[in-house]
Amino acid sequence: MRQNSITTIVPVKKDKIELLLKLLDGIKTDLDLGNPPEFEKLNVIHYARWVVIDYGKSWIDDLTPRIPKLVFVVDFDGDVDVFLKSFCSDTSDILDKVYGFCEGFPEGEKRTPESRFSFLKNNVVKDAAVYIGAPGRTVQQIKDENNLRNFIRNYLDSRDWKDVSAHTIHKKIKEEVLKKEEFLFLRKKTKMPGINWLGLVFLGLVLIVLLPLIIVWLLIVHFFYERKDVNFTKKRSGLDSAYLDELEKYEDWKNQNQFTQLVDMKEGKVRLITIKAMFALSKELIKFVFVQGKLMGIPTIHFAKWVMFEDNSRVLFFSNFDGSWQQYLGDFIDNSGWGLTGIFSNTKVFPKTNFLLTGGAYDEEHFLAWSRNSELITNVWYSAYPDLSIKNVNNNTKIRVQLMKSLSERKAAKFLKLI
Amino acid sequence: MTKLELEDIQGYIIRGYAHMMYSRFVYIKITNRKAAKKWLAKSWASMTTAVHVHDKSKISSTHLNIAFTHNGLGALGMYEENLNAFSREFRQGMITPHRTRLLGDSGNSDPIMWNWGNENIKTQNPEITDQEDKTIHLCLMIFGNDKGSVDDIEKDKIVCLDYYKELESQFEENGLKELFFIDGVTQPENKEHFGFRDGISQPIIEGSGRVGSKDDVVKAGEFLFGYQNEFGVYPDTPLVVKDQGNLNFLASDAGGSGLKDIGRNGSFLVMRQLEQDVNGFWTFMNEKTKHPDGTINVEESLKLGAKIVGRWQSGAPITLFPDKDPGVISDINDFGYSKFDPDGLKCPFGSHLRRSNPRDSVDDHGVKESLKLSKQHRIIRRARLYGQVFEGSPTNKNPKGEVGLLFACFNADISRQFEFLQYTWGKLPKVKELYNDPDPIIGVKENPEPGEKQNFTIQDCPVNRTISDLPRFITVKGGGYFFFPSISTLRYLATI
Repeated sequence: MRQNSITTIVPVKKDKIELLLKLLDGIKTDLDLGNPPEFEKLNVIHYARWVVIDYGKSWIDDLTPRIPKLVFVVDFDGDVDVFLKSFCSDTSDILDKVYGFCEGFPEGEKRTPESRFSFLKNNVVKDAAVYIGAPGRTVQQIKDENNLRNFIRNYLDSRDWKDVSAHTIHKKIKEEVLKKEEFLFLRKKTKMPGINWLGLVFLGLVLIVLLPLIIVWLLIVHFFYERKDVNFTKKRSGLDSAYLDELEKYEDWKNQNQFTQLVDMKEGKVRLITIKAMFALSKELIKFVFVQGKLMGIPTIHFAKWVMFEDNSRVLFFSNFDGSWQQYLGDFIDNSGWGLTGIFSNTKVFPKTNFLLTGGAYDEEHFLAWSRNSELITNVWYSAYPDLSIKNVNNNTKIRVQLMKSLSERKAAKFLKLI
Repeated sequence: MTKLELEDIQGYIIRGYAHMMYSRFVYIKITNRKAAKKWLAKSWASMTTAVHVHDKSKISSTHLNIAFTHNGLGALGMYEENLNAFSREFRQGMITPHRTRLLGDSGNSDPIMWNWGNENIKTQNPEITDQEDKTIHLCLMIFGNDKGSVDDIEKDKIVCLDYYKELESQFEENGLKELFFIDGVTQPENKEHFGFRDGISQPIIEGSGRVGSKDDVVKAGEFLFGYQNEFGVYPDTPLVVKDQGNLNFLASDAGGSGLKDIGRNGSFLVMRQLEQDVNGFWTFMNEKTKHPDGTINVEESLKLGAKIVGRWQSGAPITLFPDKDPGVISDINDFGYSKFDPDGLKCPFGSHLRRSNPRDSVDDHGVKESLKLSKQHRIIRRARLYGQVFEGSPTNKNPKGEVGLLFACFNADISRQFEFLQYTWGKLPKVKELYNDPDPIIGVKENPEPGEKQNFTIQDCPVNRTISDLPRFITVKGGGYFFFPSISTLRYLATI
């Protein structure tokens, strides 16, 4: 089943912001204590978050007066409308509480599944690009396949396999597993998504055809824009320590973490076209190549996405990932520096770039500082399977797929390595 | 190629002083700012530098180095603005709630239980008056070697302590107050208390004049401020943002800001006092490998220990000697995992050494990329033993009293180096394809969450094996982040 994702952005009612923050804080505390929001029972939500934006100081000293807004991001299984309908009827309590503090939410008796539905639907912001680390896997499938792996692991640990052939072990596991009712889902065939080489070749050809245009474009960006940029020059030691303390309160409690980032677009059509082109390219690559758990070489992201809002003047980036963002980010610079630079150099106050090829994300110290500096506090963050890494999720599917095949001795030995 | 200014660099970052088997780490509070600065103005000349002495007979029988805490720099009178120019990790120290989470310091390793390094928690208690304030300001590292003997700890101890007494007699007039000290020793075969030869693999700082495998040569900026790091940029060095003191002692920021650089030729020194549960370690290995009749299987117990550590007790890498310990003391270090052991069948993916330094085999990256990533997370280790000199084994596991390691390491970016190793590659149970496997030495939780598994997986044929219910073998007893300044910065500090 396909995964979808929506983002809604709604203004918070005047004078209600503190109440909203308090409510969100309560939801977070409940989550920390092991009491997830009621939407967990839908069993289709992978990740969800609420983030309050435009409340507090702007890090780029933006003087535009802004109304605080509530951002909601949810990654789920299946069709958008189907999801929203059940979300608005089966788990409406939390929705009513949260959006009671927001502009435009139906009041009193006007609150019906339909009115909530159209409220959310009307406030949906279009995705610029969405990445999924385990495309096609539903929440239930991820849980089932993890149970399967744990069961097999325990079964293997329960006896000695000395001198037993891999082929036989594979067969024995299969017999054992198929006896169990909980693994009936195995009857449904599935496979790991593969790289679409044809698509990739086509994309390559398009890029080659466009190459002269791209070169001219880079020259224009360099000589007419990059040189006039206001650059980010702080190092990590120069960041606001109290704000980092605040961010850290929300981090590193589990093996997974969240990251929310808000940046503003540089002015002008050229920057807008550049970022749109980068998103278009990312989308194609996500479709053709980044289907096996790595986004631009980053092997730790479950779901990530970019959205542009307020007339394409601002960009939000959301990520759900394994490990610690600040510690890990440096490791991705080599592989994904081009993509990160290509996208974010079009936003205000980014580390200095040259022809969009050097500097920027490759300027490690300033890039890490920039990333941290433009990060927002994620008020509520929900993960359906916080103990699994994206590598675990994909490995579990591989185990499932291989388990159901008939394997040669060599392939069976390879299969056993996965467990 | 970079050439280091060895005469300006304190020696301990370049050399481990392994032949100086006895050392005393004295933790000191500055009680009189003026006197302490006066002392610095002359004592900088006593600090051992990194300059290589070719004629061994001319090497001094005593060595001395110094490092400051953030509080210590404040106690010297450094302006707030300049204090804030240091990296946040150093400024905050080791015991903030978030950092404690990253480092895994909970249960008996909770800073509240520490013997030292937790003064900031204690001083928040209003009942503690200034007189009781035991905030550490600096650490003097004193080393001794009796030149007439070889590998004689007792004789080295005499030399070291004589030098200590000489220094100590002047502490009071120099405005220094000794809070406590920890004596660190090295063992002739450089074995730690579990019985494993330690300190074999060390990065070599590019330009230091030392030679070794090119895979171990790391850009100077990973360890020293003022030089480019593995990313080709300058590390986040502390700069003088508000003029203070005699700035002529300092070089300008190599990063081009035009400000004077306090950090140049200096580094950050991480110290952790780690108590080792030798009995717990070997009892666990014995238990997991015992014969069916319940007796100890020494050979298998040693092998499990080697799988968990990544080397045999002799130091021989298990990657190259998968079946048994070759026995002879080994310094073999020129090997990778991708060629000899891509599937972890010899050295398991979860072993302490493989995860702390994955060499050419990081996750599923290729050799070149892996080497690059590994180099971004290296540290220079300078561990010394404390307590009884004891060499643990399956049948020798009861040292007298507390034993452990005074772990120390140098790095320029505490977050990306020491803390990354401790958290991302140590505490997180997800390296490579693993599920529930924290680092068996430094990453295991003393009190796991209900239902949480802590395993060690041994990749094997035909199936992998799980060693379950790992207990924690080490307890943190103290620690801190120190600034290890250059000689010229020491001279500068005397003038602020």
